[in-house]
Amino acid sequence: MNVQRRNLMRHAATALLWATLGSAGTTMAQSTLLVGAPLPLTGPLSPEGIKLQRGYDLWADEANKAGGVSVGKSKMPVKIVYYDYQSNTPRAVQLAEKLVTDDKVNFMFSPFGSGATKAASAVSEKYGVPTLAPTASSIEVFDRGYKNLFGTFTANDSLSEPMAEMIKTTAPSVKRVAILARNDLYPLALGQEFEKSLKKRGLDVVYFDKYPIGTLDHASAITQIRIARPDWVVVTGYINDLILVRKQLGDQKVKPTVLTMINGPVYQEFVDAVGPLANNVTTATWWHPAARYTSGDVFKSSENYTRLYKAKYNEEPDFTHATGSAVGVLLQMAIERAGSIDRDKVRAALAAGKFATFFGPLSFGPEGIANSYTPPIIQLQNGKSVVLYPPEIRNAELKLGLD
Amino acid sequence: MLYLQILINGVLLGGLYSCIAVGFSLVWGVLNIINLLHGSLMILGAYAAFFAHAAWGIHPFLFAPVAGLLLFLVGLALQAGIVNRVMGAPVLITLTLTFGLNLMLDNAMIVAFKADYRKVILDPPLGLLELGNLLVPLDRLYVMALALLLVAGLYAVLRFTSVGRAIVAVRMDRDAAALMGVEVKRIYALTFAAGAFMAGAAGSLMSVIFPISPLTSNAFLGKAFVICVLGGLGSTPGVMIGGILLGVLESFGTLWLGPDFSTTIAFVLLLALLVFRPSGLMGRKGFE
Repeated sequence: MNVQRRNLMRHAATALLWATLGSAGTTMAQSTLLVGAPLPLTGPLSPEGIKLQRGYDLWADEANKAGGVSVGKSKMPVKIVYYDYQSNTPRAVQLAEKLVTDDKVNFMFSPFGSGATKAASAVSEKYGVPTLAPTASSIEVFDRGYKNLFGTFTANDSLSEPMAEMIKTTAPSVKRVAILARNDLYPLALGQEFEKSLKKRGLDVVYFDKYPIGTLDHASAITQIRIARPDWVVVTGYINDLILVRKQLGDQKVKPTVLTMINGPVYQEFVDAVGPLANNVTTATWWHPAARYTSGDVFKSSENYTRLYKAKYNEEPDFTHATGSAVGVLLQMAIERAGSIDRDKVRAALAAGKFATFFGPLSFGPEGIANSYTPPIIQLQNGKSVVLYPPEIRNAELKLGLD
Repeated sequence: MLYLQILINGVLLGGLYSCIAVGFSLVWGVLNIINLLHGSLMILGAYAAFFAHAAWGIHPFLFAPVAGLLLFLVGLALQAGIVNRVMGAPVLITLTLTFGLNLMLDNAMIVAFKADYRKVILDPPLGLLELGNLLVPLDRLYVMALALLLVAGLYAVLRFTSVGRAIVAVRMDRDAAALMGVEVKRIYALTFAAGAFMAGAAGSLMSVIFPISPLTSNAFLGKAFVICVLGGLGSTPGVMIGGILLGVLESFGTLWLGPDFSTTIAFVLLLALLVFRPSGLMGRKGFE
């Protein structure tokens, strides 16, 4: 009796397992929306790659909780197919091709940063796969007449213009400006945009120089900046550069009226690593948890996005996490509008723009770069980041001077 | 004033560079192993100092010998367990081995500590020494002084202790040293561990100056490499002079050619040395 029952149970369990596997297999083949995402999950860019992955996952979780993405009358669950390109751009391009040809993904998210996005976008253009770029802001990525690339960041000059305007009007004593830029696609392009925006407003650029990737010491450049007596110092670079420059500005008592370090203050690790020296440092950024957009996406609003992110990961989201989730909701809204996962229809829906997202209103210029929102300017005041601009979400006034 | 300040910047930076390079030079000179792990061992020392400071408030300067000892043990284990198997093998084999170990250690540190950049923040900060218009950041000055002390200590050990003489003897002629009763394998292990000690202590000192992350280890390794060639392999005074020379040249390179070309002058000099004096400024085989 016992033996018979055990056998029966075993057969039933096996049948159930096969049924489950079978149905899962069918679902995978027929009704799962596949999105390809090559990311730098190891190597020097891994902190950024992991941030994007968290952003993507949060979107996919929320979309799947609601049953998936609505395609016409049915719902399709989302599956993101990840590959680690080890911070190696040529590998990102190979993996993008593999995602399209082997994994047969429906749509793609770009790899990290302007350089890798530009390189991999040739693959999606070749196969006609609509691709959303979460972290490309250099115009050089978008000016090749591609039809399949859409980026959530506004162009670099959208950071320098409002910043220059704000400082010019709120701190009229600022006349002399020094710019120190990392010699790398995005930071250098940004430094050059700042130079243009400042000169346009009659400010005097008394120092402009670029430092190479991997610089371990900025003392001599800072000695020259000190001698140039700037009222405003603008530094562009990545987090390790900015930590080192901030420390060495302190070492040489360089205390300008305004200190801008793009995008240092956005990151908690910058605040932790420079300590009290972080106070009053400003930056422009594309998104901030203080943003107050209401949206038609799965997150409903910026506030709710921040709440959900904190609940899942137990940390405050920054603009990289948010842009990762933003490409997700953008894709979802475009598919839902198109009522289909047909690539031509989704591409047309993306190009039509006017998406109300938690990241801000998203529409794209003819070249595919977002042109529909004003990136916020923030400042660290007493260990907290406050928003100075745009006026709709401002919650503090610019503080001049450094401690 | 400008030139004097640039000179001060350069000498202080050079002091840090020497401290980074001295252990690397020792291992290369004695074991003939280009230890690509060196930068990562330094970062491991810096993490030890960071966590000791965060958890117990121990000053990284006081912690430097402890970090050194921890890394000494790590070095001993690595040498005895792994590196000893390739001693005397062609340079490509040892290079590949330490390259692989370096990748493993870097990625293990990324998993364990995350890739976030961290820094020890001293409260209160050490401040500045102001000599008229000239500014000397005291943290760099102290780190340089302590680094000199460490290097002098290593020099004294090599010069005046029997283990030190054995290390030098093995470096000069391994077979002759073995015939004189020196246990060559033991000396190899001790030398590798001493190199790791210097890396750990240097890492602890640097944790107040540079951002710490497993991603920065190769930048330190690159500097160590250049300094060794400049100063001469295995020569402790040569490393001091090579380090300070590199620091000063980079500082003036920044002033004259801009930061983007700061290393150009240093590398031109390096090429010139390789052509005209390939043993480096102080390199004399087998002499310590």
